[in-house]
Amino acid sequence: MYLLYSFRLAFQSLWREKWINLLSVLTIAAGLFMITLTFFVVYNIDLATKRLPARFSVMLYLDDGLSEQETGSIIAQLKKNNAVEQARYIAKDKALEELKGVLKNADYILEGIDENPLPASIEIKLKKESVNIASVKKFAAEIKKIKGIAEVEYGEQFLNSIHSIKGMAKAGSLSLIIIMSAGVIFVCYSTLKIAFYRRKEEIETFKLLGATRGFIRAPFVIEGSVLGMFGGIASMAAAFAFYYVLFYKVTATIPILKILVFPLETFPALPIVGLLLGIGGAVIALGRIRFS
Amino acid sequence: MIHFSNVTKFYENQAAIKNITFSVEKGEMVFMTGPSGAGKSTLLKIIYLSEKPDEGSVTIAEWDLSKLKESNIPFLRRNIGVVFQDFRLLDNRNVFDNVAIALRIRGMLEGEIQEWVMEILKMVNLRHKADSFSRALSGGEQQRVVIARAIVGEPTILLADEPTGNIDPDTAAGITRLFKEINARGTTVVVATHNRELYRNTGRRVFRLDSGNMVGEEIG
Ligand SMILES: Nc1ncnc2c1ncn2[C@@H]1O[C@H](COP(=O)(O)OP(=O)(O)O)[C@@H](O)[C@H]1O
Ligand SMILES: [Mg+2]
Repeated sequence: MYLLYSFRLAFQSLWREKWINLLSVLTIAAGLFMITLTFFVVYNIDLATKRLPARFSVMLYLDDGLSEQETGSIIAQLKKNNAVEQARYIAKDKALEELKGVLKNADYILEGIDENPLPASIEIKLKKESVNIASVKKFAAEIKKIKGIAEVEYGEQFLNSIHSIKGMAKAGSLSLIIIMSAGVIFVCYSTLKIAFYRRKEEIETFKLLGATRGFIRAPFVIEGSVLGMFGGIASMAAAFAFYYVLFYKVTATIPILKILVFPLETFPALPIVGLLLGIGGAVIALGRIRFS
Repeated sequence: MIHFSNVTKFYENQAAIKNITFSVEKGEMVFMTGPSGAGKSTLLKIIYLSEKPDEGSVTIAEWDLSKLKESNIPFLRRNIGVVFQDFRLLDNRNVFDNVAIALRIRGMLEGEIQEWVMEILKMVNLRHKADSFSRALSGGEQQRVVIARAIVGEPTILLADEPTGNIDPDTAAGITRLFKEINARGTTVVVATHNRELYRNTGRRVFRLDSGNMVGEEIG
């Protein structure tokens, strides 16, 4: 096999143009680092929105004067519903107590009110997968039909904003990642295109001596992989440095940032991503190799 | 081994060779001669697949060129050693690497390459120059490096385009001897030259070209 020789050609070429190649590696590293940051932001937004469903609840206010039996049947019906994770009955007295607890020292507001004005209610926690606009709307419509339920209330605003934050973050980050990847491929492409033109004469001779497409391509693909991989390694170093500064230095002054999560275990993917993008750039730069 | 049948090649509406028909048998050594611009180089380029004929058919070592798949071109070329008129040496590499490249593209192991190349360099009397850069060599030495590279892969056909172009008569005589030696080992040899000294008294067939036409065949 000629691969050993291809490696030799590739490393000779990398070394001959070491400064240009170093510049390419740094540019690739910058691109991959931006991709990492984008990923970091999206990852945290995703985590945050995943935690939110646990706080989301639907409140059902019951008609006044329902019998214990009627209330029991409502709760039983709710529990049968697939979307429901948990249903908690809050009796009139309990509701008042909770309100007093919330008001604490300001409970003088309630003085003079003889009759409990609060309705009995049921607080429903939905299953995680049902906390989205469509499911919640459908659920609300369904249970409103149950006899004895006066009103259904849920944070529509809240659901809408989670939805749009998620959507925007996804679209924005995806376009940024695509643009950055295209940029990294382009850097590899142009570096190798230059290398290819520099060796055009030599390649022509190789062809006339009977070199196959593989023999001609291999050194450039290796060069692309090496540039991409080193770019990936450099971006990995930058990402670790960023992690260190953010979590050990910045959090000392801004502790709230401690809630951010940095998926360190994904860092080793960077050299591989770089390598693949480098190969992509090389393949595009080489185009179709023709013999006649 | 080489068959041309009514072959024509145009360059921008101007025929470089016109309606050429000839054959070279296996193991033969023949010459193509004629003034500059007669079409000798074009004819060789068609044989080593650097140019495509516009009309007619060409068969090389049983391969019909019109039916040859592009991806098979490298494998046919490995059967054809070429001494290019413009040498095509890699000038940032030494003599050894310039000859070795013909074997490296074939995927031969470095250990074997070392042996083969040194043997061929001995044959062309350049063993002591193995580490010299090709651009530091004289014209005659460079010519011999090109010949070494052309024959190191033991091709079935050897093509030489003006192999004595700018070298002194003594060196030229040495090169002719070398070609005869290679031919004696069974390689089919085609030499394009306008230098009559090269084929005189060889007893080989000489094809004469003029303005792209085959105008005669004689014995040298
Ligand atoms: N690449 C080319 N483009 C245009 N014309 C060419 C090209 N190569 C050769 N020719 C023309 O074809 C004719 C034959 O050239 P060539 O085969 O090189 O002749 P020779 O080798 O006998 O000197 C000449 O008229 C030359 O100008
Ligand atoms: Mg010529």
